[in-house]
Amino acid sequence: MILNRMPRPMILSSAGVGWQIARLMVTVLWLSFVMPAHATPDVSLLKKNGCAECHRLNPEAPLDSRKGPDLFFAGDKFQADWLTRWLQEPVVIRLSGFITDTGFLKGEPTLATPHPKLDLGKAEAVTGHLMQLRMEGLEDAPSAELNEPLSKGKRFKYKILFEREYGCIACHQSVNLAYQPRGGVSGPSLLSAGDRLKADWVYRWLKNPKKFEKRGRMPLFEFNEEELQALTRYVVWHKQSEGQ
Amino acid sequence: MRRVEVLKNWMMISLVLLLVVLCSACGESKTNPKASEAPEISAPQPVTQDASPSPPRVKTHPVTTGTRETYQWYCAQCHGIKGKGNGINAPHTAVPPRDHTKAEYLETRSDEQLFHVIKFGGLAGGRAPCMPRWGHTLNDDTIHALVNYIRELCECDYL
Repeated sequence: MILNRMPRPMILSSAGVGWQIARLMVTVLWLSFVMPAHATPDVSLLKKNGCAECHRLNPEAPLDSRKGPDLFFAGDKFQADWLTRWLQEPVVIRLSGFITDTGFLKGEPTLATPHPKLDLGKAEAVTGHLMQLRMEGLEDAPSAELNEPLSKGKRFKYKILFEREYGCIACHQSVNLAYQPRGGVSGPSLLSAGDRLKADWVYRWLKNPKKFEKRGRMPLFEFNEEELQALTRYVVWHKQSEGQ
Repeated sequence: MRRVEVLKNWMMISLVLLLVVLCSACGESKTNPKASEAPEISAPQPVTQDASPSPPRVKTHPVTTGTRETYQWYCAQCHGIKGKGNGINAPHTAVPPRDHTKAEYLETRSDEQLFHVIKFGGLAGGRAPCMPRWGHTLNDDTIHALVNYIRELCECDYL
């Protein structure tokens, strides 16, 4: 009885191995048809809507061609709900224009702003396609910790790190204690950053910005893990719902 | 004929001597203003005669086109295109960015102090915390060249 209940060792006959190899080959063949859609996402709709005129939709495009932020990692960076809303009612995030704009250092961007408006249908379709644009090989981020609500005490502690220790406030708009906008205008505004950006992406950006931006104007830092999490949590704390 | 040849020889010798004197005078006038700085090449120069001029002194980290581009790309965001402390972030910082054309202040700061503040940030140098650290972005040579560029902008040296 006991012997009958024991699992039998699987013996692979030569015919069985052949069958398994054949199955594997069919799977590989099937994946080769399916996978390219992921490896090279369809950007035709984005191009049709004019996105490629200013934004790079793949990292191979020349760095000099960009007039707006890169979008080939939009799916990693943005929150879909925010994208759909913003594409219908775009507000200026980079108050001095994009870093390559010839008028950037004068605070007079030559590129017409704000961003073109889309209707709801188009905004949803474009968002859907943008969210497909992702980078491969991104390292893990401690999502649970990063998305934890921030206590008031920790927020003040992290504010000091953000403003005083690392001087981020010199270039990025944040808020003062009365929730009023305060800070520089050369970097993207962080007002509503928590509605706009995914916490995991902010963490990855702070850890290794070179992965996403080959030639930015922001200084590079070597934050330790505690600082990475603290600054990420402080950045994504900036939400419309936080009284701004 | 012999007298004419002797005269020619004397004329040649005096011409060579005149040239040597003139050259040594040019060399001296060039080296004087930068006498406090170390020359780029410290290897001993071959001595041809006792009264030879000292080699021209060159800035160790000269200001290049790359230095000016680096300043425009990074520093000008706060310090302004011409270094006058009026960059696009200037109206929004708690402490106004330094005006790099102002000799009255910059001649009170040594090159080492300027280097330290660029590399480690304002807070580490006892200055404004709005100035971030650039030591992970720019290498030491670039920072030294930026210090020299600031010296160009203020047309001043450390007193």
